[in-house]
Amino acid sequence: MQYALLLLFLVLAAVIALVFIIVYLSSAKSDDELKGMANPLQKRFWFLLILFVCLGIFAFITIPRSPYYLFAKEQPAKVVHVAAGQFFFTMSYKAINPDKPEGEMTIELPVNQLVEFRVTSLDVNHGFAIYSPSKQIVAQTQAMPGYVNVLRWKFKEPGTYTVHCLEYCGMAHQVMQTTFTVK
Amino acid sequence: MEAKGIKKNTAIWILAVLVLFVLSIILGIIMRLNQGGAVHLEPGTFYADMTVHGITMIGIWFVAGMAGVNFIMERYVKTSYWANTFALVMTVIGVVMLWVSTLIGDFHAGWTFLYPLPFKIAWSAWATPMFLWALAVLGVGWLVWVLSLMAALLKKYSISQVFAWQHFRNKNPEVETPPFVLISMVSLLGVLTCLIAAVVLLVLLFAEYYSHGTFVNDALLIKNLTYFFGHTIANEMLYLGLAIIYELFPEISGRPKWKTTWYVAIAWNLTLFFVLLAFFHHLYMDFVQPQGLQIVGQLASYLASLPSAGVTVFSVIVAVYRTKIKWSLSNLLFFIGIAGWVIGGVGAVIDATISNNFLLHNTLWVPAHFHSYNAMGNVLFSLGFFHWFSVEYSKRKGQERLSSLKLSFLLLGGIGFLAAFYVAGAESIPRRYSSYPVEFTSAKLLATLGAVFATVYLIAILLFFSSIFKRCLNMVLQRS
Ligand code: HEM
Ligand SMILES: [Cu+2]
Repeated sequence: MQYALLLLFLVLAAVIALVFIIVYLSSAKSDDELKGMANPLQKRFWFLLILFVCLGIFAFITIPRSPYYLFAKEQPAKVVHVAAGQFFFTMSYKAINPDKPEGEMTIELPVNQLVEFRVTSLDVNHGFAIYSPSKQIVAQTQAMPGYVNVLRWKFKEPGTYTVHCLEYCGMAHQVMQTTFTVK
Repeated sequence: MEAKGIKKNTAIWILAVLVLFVLSIILGIIMRLNQGGAVHLEPGTFYADMTVHGITMIGIWFVAGMAGVNFIMERYVKTSYWANTFALVMTVIGVVMLWVSTLIGDFHAGWTFLYPLPFKIAWSAWATPMFLWALAVLGVGWLVWVLSLMAALLKKYSISQVFAWQHFRNKNPEVETPPFVLISMVSLLGVLTCLIAAVVLLVLLFAEYYSHGTFVNDALLIKNLTYFFGHTIANEMLYLGLAIIYELFPEISGRPKWKTTWYVAIAWNLTLFFVLLAFFHHLYMDFVQPQGLQIVGQLASYLASLPSAGVTVFSVIVAVYRTKIKWSLSNLLFFIGIAGWVIGGVGAVIDATISNNFLLHNTLWVPAHFHSYNAMGNVLFSLGFFHWFSVEYSKRKGQERLSSLKLSFLLLGGIGFLAAFYVAGAESIPRRYSSYPVEFTSAKLLATLGAVFATVYLIAILLFFSSIFKRCLNMVLQRS
């Protein structure tokens, strides 16, 4: 998906660059008699309308896919509690006591079944980003002190997943990570 | 005497911005080199570098926009020399405090200083209050400046005139509002709003700090406030640059002045509104945020880009297409800057889509798009103004040399530097990592490439620097 977005971006960027280059060249080649653009007001209207419709369609398709609505009607097969702290993740199948955070040694999750992560933080803001075995982000949420963010996901591919902190949290932010397996 | 004073102040602003810009680019290159493994900083030092790079860049391009707007505004209304000077003094004090707190005090909570990180002190204990007081100093200086410019406009134009409301219905109203006045006012009001948010934010943070934890803040509320301030100021500073372009682009190109029409008036009034709601996209991954606000965030992010793109970009294209223009370095910079701004905007719209943000949030895609419309957008707007100003008002005229060399280096360096960020973002590589875990196999190479291209960009900036700097320095040293 990320590469599709990169491609979309590159195509649009190239089109925009091309338009600017063509417009520039049309000016550089222009002689003294000023031709300009015919009917600019009308063109502007169409340009805006098309842009508006495209964005409208884009919003209409994407908003229902927002993570807040994912699997909202189903029951999770497994619940994992996550407490993030400087600079570690504690994960447990049971609720975590913030004064004595204790987690499981290893976490194993079922493939193709609904898993619910309940993510919070014990100190500052952290991120909870799940990376696939091929190191692409598949899902993420924030870990915020005083709040619990609920993330639901179905893992389609078995293997070892890595969690990285994706909200800057201080000196050792870059090494804050953990793993779990999906079978 | 005052107009002369403002001119001299503008030259001082330009000198200060250029010096700080070069230093901050060097800090940026050091970061990329560290991420690439070519140099080795302590992580804390890296993050202090990152913090001061971010806050300095935001600060200087904001004041660059303000200084340009203030200078041009003198054409329409009388502005206050004292407010301008006061802002200058406060900015210098604030910046010194920021650099001391980060580079000496080692404060490294990031330029967004997201609560409660500034209070988990992992640096000299004095550095946190110094950083926050530095922001207070800047805030006061800028508030006074913004209010004085708004007051100057409102002395001549009524509220409805300054927002060009009379243009909504009437094709040829008695009083015409120049586009420059309209866009300046829209931006100034936006800046005022986010500075007020910054004041509230600082008061809440100080309350917790000085009550030693008796008073405790709510993390979600503070995050909303932080991004209302941070996102909004970063956007409004672009609009300040656009106000200057509306005024100078036709003038430098030897074309008739642009007029405010009904669609320009409506578009900027809409922008004023939507841009204030777009910041919610910084909280998409906080699922506890009320869901309605998340949707508002996505729609407002889209809608904020429509009028500005539809009106500004189209105006520039209409002005140039098949029209003979006097091209010079300044209007070329404006033209390229608009393209860079729009392309960065596409990257932003992609990321402002909640379902995409789920995959891109806090990856290097974020610095990719905001560096696009800053380093290849807003910076070019201001450089265009600096160049025009320095040539227009200096005694040393003469042909501009090396223009195409400067522009080629700027484009090559800028595009390469940004491409390394975009690709890394698509590879899910996190932002704000001092070094990368080995599993991110392409991260180091991309960082090193970024550093190399950024150096090319720096060379272009140094070439601009030398000619603009000399002219502005002469202006400052001239006896009045
Ligand atoms: C060629 C010039 C520049 C270079 C080499 C550069 C480099 C960098 C690097 C390496 C980062 C850290 C990226 C990360 O998260 O890993 C960064 C962050 C940042 N840069 Fe730049 N940058 C440049 C120009 C600019 C400009 C013109 C602005 C103007 C606004 C800017 C504003 C920022 C901000 C706000 C951050 C975020 C800091 C934070 O995360 O706290 N940069 N830059
Ligand atoms: Cu963390």
